[in-house]
Amino acid sequence: MEHIEKKKQAFRVGTTVLILLVFLTIGEFIVGSIVVGWAGVLIGIALIKAFFVIRDYMHINRLFNPTEEVQ
Amino acid sequence: MGTEVMNIKDYHQKTITNRIGIWLFIISDVFVFMGLLVSRFFLLGTEIRPEVNQVVGLVVTGILLFSSFFMNRAETAIEFGDQKTFLRNTLITIILGTLFLIGVVGVEWQITPFGPGENVIWSIFYVMTGFHALHVLSGLVILVVIYLNGRKGLYTEERNYPVEAAAVYWHFVDVVWIFFYPALYLIGLPTV
Repeated sequence: MEHIEKKKQAFRVGTTVLILLVFLTIGEFIVGSIVVGWAGVLIGIALIKAFFVIRDYMHINRLFNPTEEVQ
Repeated sequence: MGTEVMNIKDYHQKTITNRIGIWLFIISDVFVFMGLLVSRFFLLGTEIRPEVNQVVGLVVTGILLFSSFFMNRAETAIEFGDQKTFLRNTLITIILGTLFLIGVVGVEWQITPFGPGENVIWSIFYVMTGFHALHVLSGLVILVVIYLNGRKGLYTEERNYPVEAAAVYWHFVDVVWIFFYPALYLIGLPTV
């Protein structure tokens, strides 16, 4: 049971990150379409998106906690 | 004579070392993409950008984001020993990655009226999208290998580092596009 719950939890994290990425992408598209001089804001949004991908999809923490596994 | 099967403890130890290897490779690749990004802003500033198709840009960006999502599902599935979900999601990732390539090289490049030799705007556009597309293509080759090996049952709950490495590489390609998308499609006024 615990195994299944952990798997569901891992899938939920992936879905949450996707939803965040979609909203941020729509946001940057709107900002880029209506305002010209907001390069800093667009780069800022890109940095936030990259942070979530690197942390939750690329699992960078596994580098620093090598004994930590998903199970 | 026969090949010795590595025990789980040794396999995990090797995985720890391999993780350092893939991240070192990614860091070295970051320098190349950073160079391209800096070149784009050095040559064009924040005032101008190529006059590219906004719909195509948004669609291909969405496709790549979703491909990362499915790759994450594939990796998670094999880490929990779910072969069927792993194979299905890897296949979806391959399809989405192919659609991204078609979107950039087969659509965007074809509808753009200018070639890479036209001026500096289009030179940097083709270099950035072309170099990224090559990475997507190599990622797709790796994913196909992973998929075929997965069908043979080579990856298990305990031994799946190749899947993890392929996923990390695929997400890296996505991260690069996260920065290329605003740089090429959103920042500055469209100029030919």
